Amino acid sequence: MSVKKIAVDSESFDESDYLEFIALGGGSEVGRSCHVISYKGKTVMLDAGVHPAMNGMAALPFYDDYDLSSIDILLISHFHLDHAASLPYVMTRTDFKGRVFMTHPTKAIYRWLLSDYVRVSAISANDASSLYTDADLSSSFERIEAIDYHSTTEVDGIKFTAYHAGHVLGAAMYFVEIGGIKVLFTGDYSREEDRHLNVAEVPPQRPDILITESTYGTSTHQPRQEKEARLLNLITKTILNGGRCLLPVFSLGNAQELLLVLDEYWQNNSNLDGIPVFYASSLARKCLAVYQTYINMMNDSIRKKFRDDRSNPFQFKHIRSLKNLERFDDLGPCVMVASPGMLQNGVSRELLERWAPDAKNTLIITGYSVEGTLAKQILNEPSEFPSITGGGIKVPRRIYVEEISFAAHVDFKQNSEFIDLVNASNIILVHGEQKNMGRLKAALLGKYKDLRDTADEIKIFDPRNSEEVRLPFRGVKVAKVMGS
Amino acid sequence: MSSSIYYQFRSQREPLRINFDGTGISIFDLKREIILANKLGDGTDFDLSVYNADTNDEYEDDAEILPRSSSVIVRRKAPSKQGHGTAARYASAKAPPMSVVSGNSLSGRRAADGGGGGGYNKRVLPPQPTV
Ligand SMILES: [Zn+2]
Ligand SMILES: [Zn+2]
Repeated sequence: MSVKKIAVDSESFDESDYLEFIALGGGSEVGRSCHVISYKGKTVMLDAGVHPAMNGMAALPFYDDYDLSSIDILLISHFHLDHAASLPYVMTRTDFKGRVFMTHPTKAIYRWLLSDYVRVSAISANDASSLYTDADLSSSFERIEAIDYHSTTEVDGIKFTAYHAGHVLGAAMYFVEIGGIKVLFTGDYSREEDRHLNVAEVPPQRPDILITESTYGTSTHQPRQEKEARLLNLITKTILNGGRCLLPVFSLGNAQELLLVLDEYWQNNSNLDGIPVFYASSLARKCLAVYQTYINMMNDSIRKKFRDDRSNPFQFKHIRSLKNLERFDDLGPCVMVASPGMLQNGVSRELLERWAPDAKNTLIITGYSVEGTLAKQILNEPSEFPSITGGGIKVPRRIYVEEISFAAHVDFKQNSEFIDLVNASNIILVHGEQKNMGRLKAALLGKYKDLRDTADEIKIFDPRNSEEVRLPFRGVKVAKVMGS
Repeated sequence: MSSSIYYQFRSQREPLRINFDGTGISIFDLKREIILANKLGDGTDFDLSVYNADTNDEYEDDAEILPRSSSVIVRRKAPSKQGHGTAARYASAKAPPMSVVSGNSLSGRRAADGGGGGGYNKRVLPPQPTV
């Protein structure tokens, strides 16, 4: 279709020597991850997310900036909305004709998560235009191919393998090989073992290009035990003072980890008996079976617990699942774990508006907060914030606000250690706010400055959306690949 | 008399339609209508380009009048400067008009339409080109 050719490159060198990378989303931002790599006529898309701070079409990656009909395969790293929620749109509303892959647990949770997303988008006040329907979701779902970790798939000369990424159940790093060039895409990843997930693996082969997340830039996480102690102290203090604790979470992912922490604490502290812990997510209840099914893909400690206790560790003893707020008797101190994590709408937002005026209550932000969301804004402790009901109504904020991040992303130390281990000569940073990404780039450049202008030079890129990165790979023997 | 322009987002499979009254619509108004119809927000996040569907030439002059029943390709682009998408000027339509098009009065901004159910007969006029 001639229509698709809007811009034409007119450079004179051999085009086929270049690998091209472009971020249609997630370039110098966190949200709507979508990257494309193309080399020797093969094209791979990595992730198809939405931006959590936006609605409808505005939340999409910049799909108009790429000819989607040229994509051979699309690999989804994990089920989070910022990585997967525009997939049904791509598969049903665009020229995309490629094959789509994700891991088995990702596929299982994706179905529930996205049908919830369709429902929530349809009822949220400022978004009547949903990107796709439940029917679109179902029809495209059939065409998604599920893969196992560590097994290599080949599609028309493109080879790829999924490795554990930590982060959430089913999260994968993809090791992709096109025309002899190897690329590792981390997706979101974590390197610190928690209560249920494996840490991200270092692939056995050295890639030429590493595409890595940079969410936390150059900042450092507090050690796990300290973080948990801080969280539990704050919760206990609030409860003893007669207050309520609100923990907004993304319904799947670090929520399960947080619930494991709380369940264990309630188990060990009988003085907390009678103080209810609620988890307001029907979605999580539906996905409990998926978590149970895939315990074999989690870390040793939770598998051991499963074997020893002969019970599902995700069947919590001290946490009550709450179907909706109508069934909630808001009578006194309690702990409420509720989605969504960035307070954009829904149960967490409704409870925040209810509890924000009282200084006895506590709001604990446990995940990464994207620019433009209320979770991000409220960290600055504004005296009031706009009500979701609109009409210029403001809610006074006296609730105590603290950020204790359980986001399963690498910090600077973990990221740079991993980057060293992977040992790629080209590093492309994605999934980070512009400032964080810039700081990380500067820190890495500083670290590798002695290699500059040598054969081992490490190049680092921090592209904006739709800004192309072109990497020449002249010496590659194509014949070898053709024969394989 | 109701007229239409057919437009298709570059990555989408199906064409869409904007209805209006009159024999033509300015590129400025068309962009604004597309932003509103698709709830693309305040426009600070993207640039919006419109192309002739046959020639792929971009309509660069916001004041140009597109005859009714034309077909165009629309491209929602990453902004050249992050957070400063040029689509904002159409979404907000606060920029002062440069010239009056086909005798329509200035007072008829869309917001003043009284929400008459998609009827589009007032023109928002193109702004000064920015530098
Ligand atoms: Zn994630
Ligand atoms: Zn993410």
